[in-house]
This record gives sequence, C-alpha cells and structure tokens, in this order.
Amino acid sequence: MPHYTELNIGPVHPSIHGIFNFKLILNEEIIQDVKVTLGFLHRNAEKLSELNLYADNIIFFDRMNYIDAMNMELGYLMSVEKLTGIEPPERAQWIRMIMVELNRLAARLVGMGSLGLDLGMLTPFFHTFKEREKIQRIFTEASGGRQEVNYFSVGGVYQDLTEQMINDIKNFLPQFKKNLEDMYNMFIHSEIFWQRNRGIGIIEPEMALDYGVTGPALRASGIPYDVRKDAPYLFYDRVNFDIPISHEKDNFGRFMVKVEEMRQSIRIIEQCLDKITDGPFFNPQGKKSLMLRIKGNGEAFSRVESDAGEFAVYVNGNNTTKPNRVHARSPGLRNLSLLPVISKGLMIADFIAVVGGLDPVVGEVDR
Amino acid sequence: MYKIISDDKDKGGMRMITLDKTDLIEAMTDFKNKGYYLTCLNGVDMKDHLDVIYFIHNFDTNDYISVKVSTNDEHMPSLTKLFRVADWDEREQYDLMGIVFDGHDDLRRLFLPDEWVGHPLRKDYDLKKVQYVNMDSEGNEHVSFDEKEGS
Amino acid sequence: MNLLFKLHQWFSFLGNYASFGIAYLIETIVVLLFVTISFIILIYVFRKYMARIQLRIGPNRVGKFGLLQLMADALKLLGKESILPKGRDNMAYRIAPIITMMSIMVSFIIIPYGGLYYFGNLTTTNSDITLILMFGILSIMPIGEVLGGISTRSNYAILGALRGIAKDVSFEVPMLISVLAIVMVSSRSFVTGGSTYNSLSLAGIVTNEVIPYGIIEPLGLIVFFISMVARASYSPFDLSESDSELISGATTEYGGMRFGLFYIGLFGMVYLGSFLVSLLYLGGYNGPVSSQLGFIYLLVKTIILVLIAFLIWVSLPRMRIDRFVQFGWKYLLPLAVINLIYAGVFVLYIR
Repeated sequence: MPHYTELNIGPVHPSIHGIFNFKLILNEEIIQDVKVTLGFLHRNAEKLSELNLYADNIIFFDRMNYIDAMNMELGYLMSVEKLTGIEPPERAQWIRMIMVELNRLAARLVGMGSLGLDLGMLTPFFHTFKEREKIQRIFTEASGGRQEVNYFSVGGVYQDLTEQMINDIKNFLPQFKKNLEDMYNMFIHSEIFWQRNRGIGIIEPEMALDYGVTGPALRASGIPYDVRKDAPYLFYDRVNFDIPISHEKDNFGRFMVKVEEMRQSIRIIEQCLDKITDGPFFNPQGKKSLMLRIKGNGEAFSRVESDAGEFAVYVNGNNTTKPNRVHARSPGLRNLSLLPVISKGLMIADFIAVVGGLDPVVGEVDR
Repeated sequence: MYKIISDDKDKGGMRMITLDKTDLIEAMTDFKNKGYYLTCLNGVDMKDHLDVIYFIHNFDTNDYISVKVSTNDEHMPSLTKLFRVADWDEREQYDLMGIVFDGHDDLRRLFLPDEWVGHPLRKDYDLKKVQYVNMDSEGNEHVSFDEKEGS
Repeated sequence: MNLLFKLHQWFSFLGNYASFGIAYLIETIVVLLFVTISFIILIYVFRKYMARIQLRIGPNRVGKFGLLQLMADALKLLGKESILPKGRDNMAYRIAPIITMMSIMVSFIIIPYGGLYYFGNLTTTNSDITLILMFGILSIMPIGEVLGGISTRSNYAILGALRGIAKDVSFEVPMLISVLAIVMVSSRSFVTGGSTYNSLSLAGIVTNEVIPYGIIEPLGLIVFFISMVARASYSPFDLSESDSELISGATTEYGGMRFGLFYIGLFGMVYLGSFLVSLLYLGGYNGPVSSQLGFIYLLVKTIILVLIAFLIWVSLPRMRIDRFVQFGWKYLLPLAVINLIYAGVFVLYIR
C-alpha cells in the first residue's frame, strides 16, 4: 500500500507567483492529487467598483493583473466607453495600442524570468527584469507610475506622448530585439531546460476549450484563437501580425508561443509608431472636469487579449455615476482550474514548472 | 424546444439572448452541440430579482453570444454537467452573489472562508459589519464579528 | 624538507613526542587559517562574479569594495536567535551541521599542498592511505545532510534528504571507479617516468603524475568532475536543496549559524572538489618550471576549476531527480567502467 504525504505549496513559497495554496497529495515524489485554495489576495474589486465613480475604478483594474496593468485598464475602459458613448479619438487609440503592447512585453518578460527561476536558473531572471525596467521607465515618463500606471482615462489617455517619449520607444526597440534573442538563447541552448519542459502539463485542445483556457496556453494546444485577430479592438485590424501556435501542447510549447508573441508585439509597436497620427489625445466629453459626472446606462461587454488570455469586462449601469455591477472574466482563474487535472502523475519539480509555465497572477485570479 | 424571449443583435457590442430559467439546460445543450463553449458567467443583483448572464463562444464561427436568465428565488440549474468551466465559475458566483446552483457537486465558497456570513456582491450586504478571520494551529480558518478574534 | 619536521626541530627542546604534537597542532591551525581566508575570498569572488553575470553590482557596502560583507553576514548569522523546531530529534538536529563542517575541515588537512620555497612541503598528513581516507571522509559528509533532513520532521526537509540520498547513491559508484583507474595507471613505472611511489596516498599519486592523468584518461576526468559537481550539490545537481521546490530542502528548518555551517560546507565542497580534480587529474603540484613552486601551481589550477564551477552554477537549471538518477546509472557508470577497462588495457599492453 502506498504511503501518502501531504505537502503544502504556498501561501508562502519561493516559486508561487503570488499567494495561492496548493495542497499536494504525494506518493513519494509523484503527485496524486492537488487541492487549490484561493482567496488570499481577494479584495473584491467588483464590489469596490460598485461603490466608486466610473473614472475612479480604473486603479482597481490596474491592481488585478498588476504586471499587465495597461491591458486590464483597457478592458474596463472599452466597456465604459461603450456604455457611455464616449469614443476615444484616433491618436489616443494608437497611444493605447503602443502602451498595451509594451506592457504585454513587460508581462511576458516577468513570466519568462520567473519560469527560469522556478527551474533553478537564476541568471535569466535578472536579464529579463533589466529589460522590463526599461519599459517601466517609459511608463513612468508617460504616466508617473511604474507598475500600476493608471494611464488610460475615459475617452482617451491621461497625457499625450511627446516626441521625446516616442523617440525613447524607438530607441528601446532595436536593442530589445537583440536582448530578447540573447535571453531566448540562454534558455533554449540548455539541454536541461528542454528536459524539464517537454512532455509535462499536456493540455489537449478539447480539454482546454472545456475548461475555458485562453491565451498562450490555448494557442500552445494548437487553436489559433486570439482576441486581437478574432474580434479586433483598437486598430488591430490595421496592423500586420501573426498568431503563433504550437502543437506541442506542453510547457515547452507555451514558452515558445510566448516568446514568438513577444516578437510579434515588437512588430506591432513598430507599425504603430509609423502610423500614429496627430490630433487630440482625449475626447472632450471625457475631460477632467466632466470625468466625475460620467453616467452610464444599460449593459456593455468587451474583451481584450491580456497576458494570460482573454480578459473580459461586463459593466452594468443604472443611469447613475456609479456602476451597478462590474464583472471581470479572469483568464488566470480558468488556466488555474485546469492545474489539478494536468498535474496528476507529475513530480514536484514538474508541478513547479507547470505553474511557472501557466503563470497565473494572483491579483487577477482572486480579484 | 426552448423559447427565446428576446434576441437583441447589438446590445453593448454583442448579441444578447434572453431565456426562461426552465429552458436553460435545454438551450445550453443545444448550443453545446452546435460547437459553443461557455467562457464565463456572472450574476447581477437587480434588487427585485437576480440576473445571470452566460457568455458562450463558438471558436469555429467566431460567434460570441450572451445569454441572460432571470431568477426570483436565488436558485439556478447548474451547468457543470455540460461545461467544466462552470465548476469554479458557479462556485465564485455562489460565494460572492449567493446564487445557489442546483446540481453542482461541490458548491463551496471559492474565495472567502467557509464560515463567512453573507454574500458581498448583493446590494443588501451590510458593509458596516466587519468580519475578522483567524486561523487556529491546525490551519482552519474561523470567522467572527468579534474584533479580538482578528488579531 | 618538510614543514612539519622544521617545526619539530624548533620545538625539539620539549622532547620528541611533545614537539611532534605541537608541530602538528601549529600546522593544522595554519592550514585551516589558510583555508578559511581563501573561503572568504572565494565567496566574495563568487558573489561579485555572479553579480557581473547577472548585470548586478554585487556587495559594495561593507568595507572597501564590499570585502567585509561576508564578515557582516557571519556576524549577523551568529547574532540570530537559535530557533529549534518543535518535533525535532534533538541530538541529530544539533549534530548534523557539525558533521558536514567537520568532514570538510578534516578533508582539507589530508590534502597534499606541495612545496613552497622556504617553508618546504606543506603536507600535514603523511599516511600511506590518504586516498582511501579522503573518500571515506567524503562519504561521511552527506550523513550530516541526511540527519539534518530527517531529524526535523518537516516534509520539505525529508523530501530533500531523500533526494540527497538518491543523488549520492547514483554518482558515488562511478566516482570511485574512476579513482580506481587512476590508482591502476599511477602504479606503473612507464607512465610515471620511473618512480612508483605509494599509489594509495594522494601525495604518492601526485608525485607519480609526471603526465597529468587527465591527458591519459579524459573520460575519467569528465566522470570525476561531474561527480564532484554532484558532491558539492550546486546548480544543475542541487537536488537536496532544490530551493524553488522544497524551500531549502534538507536545511529548511535550520537558522542562524547552524544554517551558516551548511552554507560553508557547500562552498568548502566546491573548493575541495576543485582541489581533488586538480590533484588527481591535472598534475597537482607538478609544474613546468620549478618544483619549489608546487603550492602555487596547485592553487592556480584549483582557482581556474573553481571559476569554471561558478560558471556552471550560475548558468544551468536544475535537473529533475529521476533524470539525474538515470544519468548516473545509465551514462556515468558505463563511462566509468569503459574508462577502467581502457586503463587496464593501457597499463598492460601499451609500452
């Protein structure tokens, strides 16, 4: 008869991205069952949003996926703009697109570095974070915030991109391209990295759809679904980019898809910088003096492609300055719900690698 | 055959179908056979009744539909038999909104401790009453309204 | 002239046995002082080196260029409250870090350091079987880790200790087989240019090592070097620590200076392993110019090996335990056996 051990991974553990609790039921090193406990970072942002004005709620969305704050803001604001009818002008949309893609790069860099850290590889972590710091410097220049930027506002952005900032971004991209290849090689030229990632955490496409998995995890299972292509928002229909997919279905495929998407993001930013137009950067209806009096009525639903997958926001307004109901669809929660299924029969080391590959961000899972 | 009460082609940027509660399972089975998958669901407290909105998505035809169902008695049929994603989503809505999904095998709270009183997203939830969470040496969480327990 | 005998002559007014005793004591202290100082330099170099690779600056606050950072760390560890876990096995818990530390220190006394101009031969232990003694002590070292792991009854620590045992079992056999091949080669006079000094002592092996054995047996060098990486348990093979999975593995429940002893044991083993590889495979204290410089030759070879070890440490991810066990039994062991057969053929048939 096998002897079962209970091992707690989290809430405080070196390689849990945030604070979850996984209770592993182990037979020696083999995982028999995983019990997930959530809610350690639960702040009920949905309730907080009901208590505050439309324009004040943006920061709660920043704090959901705190490493991918721009996408969270965008998801909320697109819903609010649909609800109130305040359309952002063209230049604001280009600026939003540049910022969103830069933040996607930053978020992917965190995921890449911490995957290395989970595998016991300390060096790439510092390299990725150094690049991320450069992106955050651009954000600081634009918005005043490094991570929780609070940059977008209803009907535009908080502050225009100056010539200087656009030059900063233009200078950042070529050297980032080179450094990205360096970092990628740091992982991929290590035989042990291949051994540790291939064939673990296999997500079959049918299972992925059934569990609502989206984002890189779904694309690594061979389904080319990306909100940016399938339901283009902003000006994603005006730029060229490809959706990488992988048929590996495992952790390695997810890593490769993420890296390839970073290359595509660089392509998108370059095209945006070429196509950006002059003009106002916010809609006069959403200017600062009117911001506190924004009223919404009815229902609106919008979805964006965030770092972890499809992030969707439902906003319900009853013709007051505060929303009646806000709901955020968290992609990380769906990715995490699959974890007990795919980690049966893995070893502890593989389990850590799978969590690192799915890269759930606890702020967004718990909300 | 289920009956569609209303079909709004462009409601807040998407198609919205309104259904009766008794038709939900049948309609969802039909949608599932057509290749739709549930992506998320959320409850809305409309003060006199609760709305539950299901978002379903067909990945082949790129079709996104929201299905709205109203309930007066906080009970809804569970979709866990059809879609696995409904498992945690329904637990979340039960936790925060207090909708009881009949037929769910494991309807526990997802985020809050099991002993928590009330459902925070309901409009009649009293925010003035602070609840304190404490943990004993066994690792079990306890919730109480007593301030001393929270230390 | 041996340093030991020089010291013996100085204290000869005390009588034969007493003066030998004092001479041994003084030389042991000198060697341990040298080892400690080089530890400190080594850890400083490691931290700076690692920082450079990771685009950081490294320690630069305490003392000039951060040279005293390790002192500050050691003082901090000493000043910490000694926290003892509740369900521990008291004796085993307390003795485990001491075993690790002691075995490292004893190993450094056994190493033949070669000669240096005025001081003469610095070797302390002049026994006929220091090779066997050395590997005996090396196999005591993991006992400290295992005791530390299982005495605390923490699941993380127990898993770490189990991984440590699995790791040790799978690489020690190939390690010893590759050492056996060295003993065979070093006992033949045509390899060593006439001298067949006692080949079961480290000093004898190195004296016989006119051509470095790494050139004769490159396969053995690879196997032994990998074994030394695994013995020191750093990055690709840090399975008993596994810091991203098992918090800190076998040493999870240790704090303060008890943890510090394990930490010193880890660095000491990197250093000791480099000494052993350079002694057994790279010619030890034999060098091209003057035999008076033996100690310097040994030190330079060792430091180069230590730097290679650091490079491996910072650049590779951790192997999974089952992969490592497979690697040990399916690759290292056959390689070591092939090396042994090759050594036998070499010794018997090639003239």
